[in-house]
Amino acid sequence: MNGWILAAAVVLAAGLGATLRGVVTGPLRRRAAAQNLSTALACPALLLLAQGYARPAYVDLALVLAVLGPVGTLVFARLLADELADDPPHARTATFTAAALGAAVVVAVSVATGPGRALVKLLVIGALLVGGNLVASRALAGGMQEGRRD
Amino acid sequence: MTEAVIVVALLLVGACATAAVAVRDPVRQSLVLAVLGVVLAVLFTVLQAPDVGLSQLAVGSALTPLLLLLTVRKVRRRAQRAPDGPAGRRGREGGP
Amino acid sequence: MQGRRTLLAVAEVAAWWVPLAALWLVLVSTVDPLEAAVGAGASSVVALVARGARRAVTGR
Repeated sequence: MNGWILAAAVVLAAGLGATLRGVVTGPLRRRAAAQNLSTALACPALLLLAQGYARPAYVDLALVLAVLGPVGTLVFARLLADELADDPPHARTATFTAAALGAAVVVAVSVATGPGRALVKLLVIGALLVGGNLVASRALAGGMQEGRRD
Repeated sequence: MTEAVIVVALLLVGACATAAVAVRDPVRQSLVLAVLGVVLAVLFTVLQAPDVGLSQLAVGSALTPLLLLLTVRKVRRRAQRAPDGPAGRRGREGGP
Repeated sequence: MQGRRTLLAVAEVAAWWVPLAALWLVLVSTVDPLEAAVGAGASSVVALVARGARRAVTGR
């Protein structure tokens, strides 16, 4: 029907499918990195769906996911610090790919939205998405070591 | 196109839920459950129920894994304190 | 001395309040006086909480 929903379907099938495979197989560090990437990829998909359905209210889902996704990853980084300490996950290429995809989707949806308050909201979501996921993957790669108590 | 994205979301939910059942170790299961929460929220959005998706996101992406991991940590502490109990024989990795 | 500290506290809460109220006005769907009033109230509560959290983190 329109290209936005097609793009969302492609992001969901390729991105979330790949992270699903990563979270089911492999060592623990790969699973943790894949869980982080799944939120980083679902948020752009939700933005594309909101644009595709022409419902600006659906953007709230992407906002909530951009806030809570890194929080969930930080929960794992804190509580799995012992298991991840010997072999920390370094998914640098995948992290930057997901961040670039998020930024590209935010820019595309912003161009389609045009100036106004909705544009500021989209930029806030984009900053939360990219910044939150970079912080979360950095914490997963060993930033929580000094916070370890036991 | 709308049906295609519904089919994609349904397939993702089916695969993720099957994996959540098939994985045996509770720690890895909590990682799969976090992904399942996100995928379910996408499915609810695709089915035009974003309010349900919002609450699913709030509960599923951070709260459920937190509760599971805290429970696993407490059980392990107790198993380490009493290593000859029935729970003490399970290894750190868990699973058969 | 006391007045200076009170002035600093009020300035900090106001410095938290302005971006919080702006964020509220950006995120709501329609801007009308009722939304603005509710946003101002919520922002002042969160500004007080933010000052408390900042003092708890920095230890002063």
